[in-house]
Amino acid sequence: MSEKKSNCKGVMQHICESLGEDLNSERCIAIKHHLDDCPNCKTYFKTVELTIDYFKKYEVQLPEGAHERLISFLNLNDCEE
Amino acid sequence: MDEKILIDEAKQGSRKALSQLVRLHEQTIYNFSFKICRDREKAENIMQETFYSFVKSIHQFDGNSKLSTWLYRIVANHCMMAARKLKNYHFVSLENDDDDGLYEDRYTADWSRLPDKFTEDQELKNILDEAISKLSPDYRVVFLLRDVEGLSTEETAQITELSVPAVKSRLHRARAFLRKELNEAFAV
Repeated sequence: MSEKKSNCKGVMQHICESLGEDLNSERCIAIKHHLDDCPNCKTYFKTVELTIDYFKKYEVQLPEGAHERLISFLNLNDCEE
Repeated sequence: MDEKILIDEAKQGSRKALSQLVRLHEQTIYNFSFKICRDREKAENIMQETFYSFVKSIHQFDGNSKLSTWLYRIVANHCMMAARKLKNYHFVSLENDDDDGLYEDRYTADWSRLPDKFTEDQELKNILDEAISKLSPDYRVVFLLRDVEGLSTEETAQITELSVPAVKSRLHRARAFLRKELNEAFAV
């Protein structure tokens, strides 16, 4: 299955899960047909997907010395290898 | 060493096992904490409080869920307690039933112009920070647990002590709000 198809299925699952419907329900099939023909909705869901992706990729590394301060706070200094 | 063995040893009183478990999860917990409070010092304090609670109550961990899920519950509680102290801070309300505004764009941005290596792009980080900081922590925690950390709707509901429909509703609105904020920022 192509990545594009897989993403579309993922989007459909998100939408249908929110509605409490399964993928083969009448309502979901109607939504799928609408999405196939509606560029606005396609763009909308693509940008929702991108929004989630940006927040996922925004990683913050533990600051220097934070591990040592944590171990000291927990009084576990003697357990470090 | 296998995490399950470390947990068993920690529950039997091994401080060395506790220390190894802390090392295994500290980055994840710090990162999550930062994403909620958007402040490095506060995130480090919350991480410390989270692991303090973890060390004190590891004997209560029943193993029915993953350790990471249990830790998310503790860190989310600490984050929410910290957020409640900000009661005078104005967050955007998403409780209004009339949420058409969330789905209508005044501007249409060209999202394709965004850099691929955006993790190095400070301007983009600022936009993400500003967007999520407007979102009430009640919605922020649901969005982060479900969409960013990849927990299931049911796990998110357990951690936040919300019903599954309430999680879905908050998630839906949080996604729409953040997308709209990003769209407006990118359109400038």
